[in-house]
Order: sequence, then C-alpha cells, then structure tokens
Amino acid sequence: MKFELLKELTELPGISGFEEPVADFIEKQIKGKVDKYWRDNVGNLIALKKGKASSAKKLMLLAHMDEVGLMVTKINKDGSVGITRVGGVDPRVLIGKKVSVGKDLLKGVIGFKAVHLQKDESLLKTPAYSDLSVYMGFNSKEEASKKVKVGDPVYFNTLYEEVGQYALGKAFDDRSGCFVLLEVLKALGDMSLEHDVYFSWVVQEEVGLRGSGVAASQIQPDAAIVFENTTAGDNPEIPENRWATKLGQGPALTFAHGGLVLNKRIFETIKATAESNAISYQYKARLAGGTDAARLARTLSGIPSGVISTPSRYIHSPVSMIDTRDFSAVIELAKILVIEGKVLPE
Amino acid sequence: MKELIKKLTEVSSPSGREDKIRESIITEIKNHVDGYRVDALGNLIAWKKGVSGKKLLFDAHMDEIGVVVTHVDDNGFLRVEMIGGVSPYVLLGTRIKFETGAVGVVGVEGETGKEYAENMKNLAFDVIYVDIGATNKEDAMKKAPIGTFGTYEATFLDHGKRLVSKAMDDRIACAILVQVAKELKEPKDDVYFVFSVQEEVGLVGASVAAYDIKPDMAIALDVTAGPDTPKAFKRMGFKLGAGPTIKIKDKASISSSQVVKKLTEIATTNGIPYQYEILIFGGTNARGYQLTGAGIASGTVSVPTRYVHTPHEMVDYDDVLNTVALLKKLAEEGVA
Repeated sequence: MKFELLKELTELPGISGFEEPVADFIEKQIKGKVDKYWRDNVGNLIALKKGKASSAKKLMLLAHMDEVGLMVTKINKDGSVGITRVGGVDPRVLIGKKVSVGKDLLKGVIGFKAVHLQKDESLLKTPAYSDLSVYMGFNSKEEASKKVKVGDPVYFNTLYEEVGQYALGKAFDDRSGCFVLLEVLKALGDMSLEHDVYFSWVVQEEVGLRGSGVAASQIQPDAAIVFENTTAGDNPEIPENRWATKLGQGPALTFAHGGLVLNKRIFETIKATAESNAISYQYKARLAGGTDAARLARTLSGIPSGVISTPSRYIHSPVSMIDTRDFSAVIELAKILVIEGKVLPE
Repeated sequence: MKELIKKLTEVSSPSGREDKIRESIITEIKNHVDGYRVDALGNLIAWKKGVSGKKLLFDAHMDEIGVVVTHVDDNGFLRVEMIGGVSPYVLLGTRIKFETGAVGVVGVEGETGKEYAENMKNLAFDVIYVDIGATNKEDAMKKAPIGTFGTYEATFLDHGKRLVSKAMDDRIACAILVQVAKELKEPKDDVYFVFSVQEEVGLVGASVAAYDIKPDMAIALDVTAGPDTPKAFKRMGFKLGAGPTIKIKDKASISSSQVVKKLTEIATTNGIPYQYEILIFGGTNARGYQLTGAGIASGTVSVPTRYVHTPHEMVDYDDVLNTVALLKKLAEEGVA
C-alpha cells in the first residue's frame, strides 16, 4: 500500500462537530515533532514549527478534519432511526449504504424499498430525507433507545483500498489535506526555515467554514495555503468544457471560487513553483463551491491565501476516488512551497 | 468631474484583479490626502487628518463584475464563468475585454432549432461561449488562457445631465470619493477613504478594511436601482435626479439609525436633496463594516442607477454632485 496513513485517516469517523477521533490521531503523529501544539475551544488542532528569524513571517497551512455525513434525528417505533445530513450529501447516494452510528460505531444500513416492490416511476425519484431510515437490527424503540440517541453522528462505512494508481475510500475530503500537512511536517524534519510554519487541522468546514477563522485569529498569519479535495466531474456523460477537474492531470489550482477571487500573487507563485519543478497541474475550472480561503480573507485585517486540491470523483459520497499520482504531486508541491516560503509577502 | 468619471469607469478591473483601477485612483488622489496604504487583500486606504480625534470612514468598491476563462476548446472557443452577478442574457451582444488585451464576442450553442430556442429561453453560462477570433486552441491559449479575467467593454457616454457607462457600479462612488478628497479642506474628524476589493463576489475587502482603523462611523457608497423606468419595481419609490439616497435597509444590512439621522440632518440643514431608500434585494459593503470587530455604526449612501450590472449603467450628474456635497459636509461637521 502506497499511503498507509491515508488509509487510517480516511477510515476514522469524524463528521462536522465530531472531529475528535481525527484530532486525537493527528496529535499522536505530531507529538515531539513540533515546537508546540494546542487544541482550541472549537476543536481545531494547531501546531507550530518555529522559524529562525526573530520576527519570523508566519505561514499557515490548513486542512479540515471533518467529513460530510449524517445524524440521528429520531428513534422510530420499529427500532430504526430517522436521519438528516451534515454537510452537502445528495440523498441519491445514500440508499442501501452501510453506515456506522454513534461513538460505538454500531453497524447499520440505510433502508430502501427493494426493486421488486417499486413501480417504474418511483425508481427514478430522488428520495427525501424523510423517506430514509437507518436499520441496525433493533426490533423496537425501547431496544434501540438503549444504544442510540438523537444527535448521534452517522458515518459512511467504507474501507480504503488502492486499485492500480487509484485510491478508493470515504472522506478524502479532506483527510487527504490532513495527510498532506503531516507529510510536509515530516519533510521539514530538523530543517530550520526562516519563517514560522503553523499547521492547522480545522473543524466544521463542511457546514460553513466555521473552524478556520478562529484558528487564523490565534495564529495571525501573513499568508495561508489551504489543502483541499475537490470535485472532478470528468464523467463521460458531462461535456469536457463543464468538468471541474480531471483525475490524473495533477494538483488543481484555484483562481476563484464561491465568495472569493484568490490572491493573485500567491496563485502565480504556486503556478510558477509547479512549473519550475516540472509538476504538471490543472485549474479548478468551475467556480461553484468554496473553501476555508473565503473565511480567511474575511478574518482579522484580511489573510491572503492559495488553494491546492487533489481532484476526487464522486466526492461527498460513501466512496470517492482519487488518482495517487495527483496526490503525490500535491504533496511534492506542498513541501517545496513551504520550504521556499515564497508565498509569504516580501 | 465628468472627465474623472470617464477615466475611472473605462478602466477594466474586475473583482480580484483591481491592480489597474487601484493605480488610477492612487494617481488621482495622492496629492489630496495625508497618506495612503494598500493592505494584504489589496484594499487602498487613504486618509486626511482631522482635529476631533474621531474617525469617519467612506467606502467605495473598486472592483466591477466580469468573467473568467475556464476552458478553451480545440477550435479556440472559450468558456467563461461569472465573477459577480452577470446575467448571461446581458452578456449576449456585448464585447468582453480580457486582461491580456484580447476582445471577445458571445455565442450560444444549439445543434437544432429546438435546442437553440431552448438554450435561448433558459440561457446559462453552460451553453454560451466566447469567440476571441482565435483560429485554434494554441492561438486562444496565447491570447486568453484559462484563468484570464475580463469585463464588459463599453465607452463613456455624456448626455449632459445623464451619464452612461459600464462599471458606474461602483466607480461612480470611487470618483465621488476622489472628488471629496480634492474639495475637502478642513475635515473635523480623521477621514478614511477606502477603495475596497471584491465587493461583487461577497463584500470581501470591506469585511476586513476597517479592522485596524476602528472608525466611529462607516459609510458605504454604492449604486442602487433606479426604479423610475417603465414598469419598474413598483414597491420602491426613489428616482434619478432627486438626490442621493440614504439607505434604510436592503437584504444585507439595516443602516444604523444614528447614521441615517446624521445624514438626514446634514442634508436638511445644508439644503442637499436626498431620498430614503429601501432596496428589496441586494446589499452593500455596509454589512462588512457593521460586522467588523466589535461592530461599527454603518450605513449606505447610494446613487440611483438604471441598468445596474449591464455595460450601460445610467446615473444623474446632479445626484453625483449632491452626493459629493453630502459627504463633504459630513466630513466637515464630523460624526459627533
């Protein structure tokens, strides 16, 4: 396996608001390898590798720990539970999927009417969340209530695997970014850079960019790089001119997305760095969606940032797919950018 | 002042690509202020010192709406997405000027009459393309590669009292602030002139520009609708030529009542015509200021404008001059 740690990271349960297992895991990885680290009031994990300079510039690296998922809203009479979404989840990807519920990770399945019982027209319909329930083998409300409660998180239950050059799994968005930060930290080793590097693993991106702003307020960085996982959309049924990114074409660089045009100088620096290191890259060619960069720009007196993403097919579903060559290239580019520090202002 | 309006509106500088307009404004304003700086996001902040110890902030956003190239096909046709609120219907029949100098016209897909009619009926960025006269992909990639920003191309038109141009939103406000800086001799408060970035994509610059300044009052200067045209929004009553509007509310903010009161007093005592404005859609940078730090008393003064977000936005010159007068008087008399 190429990315053992990515496997562990993606398999951890951690929907928005329930990122603790992910933070615990990352904390174990970074212990003793950074100058200091702390968990803040909202659950962000922030670590510092100090620079040499006394008035060192601060570079913030950011990835979000949370994944999209579901939450228990009601225990039904028959022992099944009602659910709602946490983050953007298309209900069409849910029916018939295996999930884990609550902190004990009880196994369950999202129920649906068997094909035999459906009329042709209902086969094509998108289910409403009110039509979906999770079945965990309980026979009554009483029995279920002993093990499950309203507000329990519901996670996709997908094991990571590598198939040829591709990796399949859940939560690449954004555990892949979390992994990039760990790889950068490893590469820095005992190196001492001029600038401070702050690693921030943040919470609740998927429900509205909620962790990044407060993390940045503690750091007060001069510039930031956001490592994300982004929509591919290179499905054959979609015309090429409407693809967001394509697997295998390298790291996706963002010039603009929802709510923000990315800082031009940082964008050009990332592009030039990729070019001078013969790393092929592509652009995120659809502007829909946003990242924590939009929050950073609106934090303190304005924090300029860049966004680098690993393209992912079937994002925000129980199984998504990345190209490990793209992912390796993102890691490579990240290391060079952090060591060189050119994204920081003069 | 018309020369200044023409100069600033004709600069092509969409959200995130404000370098050109910032340079133009610095050239116009630098000899009339006590200092200026450019912050980390690109906001241009100029100031004039007063005597009261209070701080008054005026904001005009420098950016204009536009498009960005997202795809180039084998035959050299471009696909674009909007930067800020651009209607694909308005884009049809216009020229787009790209930051590289390339100029494009807009076409609509449709392989059958029915499909073409469908596309025209539900026009979306997915079914339009931009033709920059490139003969193939390589040629187009040279002239306007992916990530190239563009704006409408249109020239300034002077009808005497009524003026028409692209990007009146919000260069008319930039011109007004430059004019206020030129005419203002003895401000009572410290006056900050903020020319902010990326308003059109979500009030970005104004969300942070005042963080270090901590002004006592912030006034966003923007355009508003001109609902005095045939069968226009009948729920709104303000019109061109009846003076600047003092905003009461829109979808993004409710003006601080002390700001509304102060502006009304200044206008009334100085015989400056004004109108109250309730806009049933849209928003301005006032929201960004209102939510900054511990909160800033904020409001909006608008210039009624017809055909907003098209290449031909129309304002009334008397409204412009009266807006200059209102802001200048406020700066002379102070916020307290």
